[in-house]
Amino acid sequence: MLGNRNKHELRDTSLNALYIVTLFVLILFFFVFGSSMYSGRNIQSMAYQIPEFGFVALGMMFSFMIGGIDLSIIANANLSGILAANILMGTWLGGVPEPTRIVLAILMALTSSLVFGAFNGLLITKFGVPSLIATLGTMTLYSGIGMALTGGKSLVGFPKRFTAMGISEVFGIPVIFIIFTAVAVILGFLVKYTVAGRRIYLMGTNPVAARFSGIDNDTLLIFIFMLTGLLGGLSGLTIISRVNSAKVGYGDAYLLQALVVCVIGGIHPEGGRGRIIGVMITIALLQMMSSAFTILQLSPFAKKLIWGSMLIVVMGLTKEGPRIVAFVKKVTSSIRVSRLKEGRV
Amino acid sequence: MRINKIEVVLISIIVAYSLFVGTMNRAFFNIDSLFDIIRSSASVMILAMGLLVIMLSGGIDISFMAVALFSSYTASKILIDNGLTSVALAFMIAIGIGIMLGLVNALLISWLKLPPFIITLGTQNLFHGVMATFIGAKTFGAGRLPPSYAQFGSSTLFKIQTESGAVGLTTHVLFVVAVIALTWFIIRKTLIGRGIVAMGNSEDAAIRAGFNPLKLRLFAYGYMGFLAGIAGIIYVCQVNAVYPDKLVGEELMVIAGAVIGGVSVSGGKGKVLGVVLGIFIIYLLNSTLIFIGLTSSWNSLFVGSILTVSIALTSYQEKKKNQLDFIFN
Repeated sequence: MLGNRNKHELRDTSLNALYIVTLFVLILFFFVFGSSMYSGRNIQSMAYQIPEFGFVALGMMFSFMIGGIDLSIIANANLSGILAANILMGTWLGGVPEPTRIVLAILMALTSSLVFGAFNGLLITKFGVPSLIATLGTMTLYSGIGMALTGGKSLVGFPKRFTAMGISEVFGIPVIFIIFTAVAVILGFLVKYTVAGRRIYLMGTNPVAARFSGIDNDTLLIFIFMLTGLLGGLSGLTIISRVNSAKVGYGDAYLLQALVVCVIGGIHPEGGRGRIIGVMITIALLQMMSSAFTILQLSPFAKKLIWGSMLIVVMGLTKEGPRIVAFVKKVTSSIRVSRLKEGRV
Repeated sequence: MRINKIEVVLISIIVAYSLFVGTMNRAFFNIDSLFDIIRSSASVMILAMGLLVIMLSGGIDISFMAVALFSSYTASKILIDNGLTSVALAFMIAIGIGIMLGLVNALLISWLKLPPFIITLGTQNLFHGVMATFIGAKTFGAGRLPPSYAQFGSSTLFKIQTESGAVGLTTHVLFVVAVIALTWFIIRKTLIGRGIVAMGNSEDAAIRAGFNPLKLRLFAYGYMGFLAGIAGIIYVCQVNAVYPDKLVGEELMVIAGAVIGGVSVSGGKGKVLGVVLGIFIIYLLNSTLIFIGLTSSWNSLFVGSILTVSIALTSYQEKKKNQLDFIFN
């Protein structure tokens, strides 16, 4: 493990590197794509696409920060969406008037996602299942429930008043994007300025030390997995209101992309590190790349190739980064020394 | 061979469930059903043995389906492009490619020292992307494939006469049995196998005992690649077509089978028999839901429930044991 000082240095260099890369991509895309990327319409459409994936990435980030992983976020999002869809379509609670049904559907998605998250947390803490395998199991279970409910078909046709939420705008900014930003800001505040936030870092860095310094790891972990679940539920609601349908298996590719976001955004998979700002910038960066892929009409296979190699390359750079920086410093300083010597001679 | 508690539970589940299905639908009690499960589970059973070795070493792999697809697709394409027809040659090419991709995984894991799950998720997409972008993304149907594929795919050891006609046991069962025996031998009887188990229990202890983790990882992931090559060609011959997008996405079912069979994700624990039973249960469910009047969309609900219950029970025992030993993790 790295020492404390090193760790801070690493975090700062990786965040600085992220700013530089983002700036580079912004400029590069300007020259390559020009107005097809930077048109008002494209920026707006990106703002529509960011939230559903952004919620998943934030959830993944929290599970990473405590040194765990939540693979069930997307299954959770889809199942919550399906449960809400059943109420929206009147399959359940058919007699209730439409506006009440919409409220109930939203409540349904949020509570069910919290329950699914809490179930993950209980499996991990009370039964001692490693989070990877616990959420692998519940991922299969949640999508299994969704499959049994829907038979694998899409549920379509929601009330207009509900789908209007997914496509409404304030001054041209999509409402779902505003909600997403607000949630991210609140979570950023929570992580940085509250006791719970500091405890997340402590537990992620060293769970045993956290435990012996009087932190109730189990409660904190259940809280984090409930939060992750809730973010999944928000993603599910965003998806069904935007695409006007609910089904199992929507957004499966988000799992890989969420991991890419966390790794690029400076969240170390072993836990204890990372800042929301890094993740938010990376989400925007990845959305721009997705947009570029759409403009270039890349095949899904080519996208897989790019996301997969990005994940590996970024992990490699994160590992070798400090060494590269140290090497560059050594070279530059040796050049300086040799110049000094020459001056003396 | 000793049978432990998990395996007793799994065998009872299999027997009870089979009796249940049989009483619901008489058609199930037929040698045909068993032969069908053996045939359709052949390639997955082989892959699960490789996964067992990797999980024993304390790692995990979710790229093996991409490796199986990559190696079998490439081997078949080489055969078609060059007008070659030998299945044996296809096996050799696929095994070679599989081992190489497996070694790539091992090297990346040893170098990056990050959770193997994340690394192999990366390579899964990388391998699949490289294959479809640079090698080919076309489907080859039965007409394009060498006829030897179909022959091998439908070959049988022996046939039994039943009311519904002759049913045969696939020759692929020989491969499955050989791989199971080989894996058992490696884990139990070779130094490298014992080293892999030791590393799964404690990497530090394994290093102090004189094992080289890099070599052990290269072996474990290379072995997985070797088996992925075999399983890929068997799969291609069984369906008698090469698709650029099959297999990938099914890896979680294999991991589920291994975990149901009592393999620990934290490494060092797991048995060949358990994995065989775990995979068998999944395929039993897979092929019998239709007998009890449910559609295949119920499949993942059943698998998910069994998986969740079994991981909760096995982990709970370990947690209790750790608490008694004052281990806090």
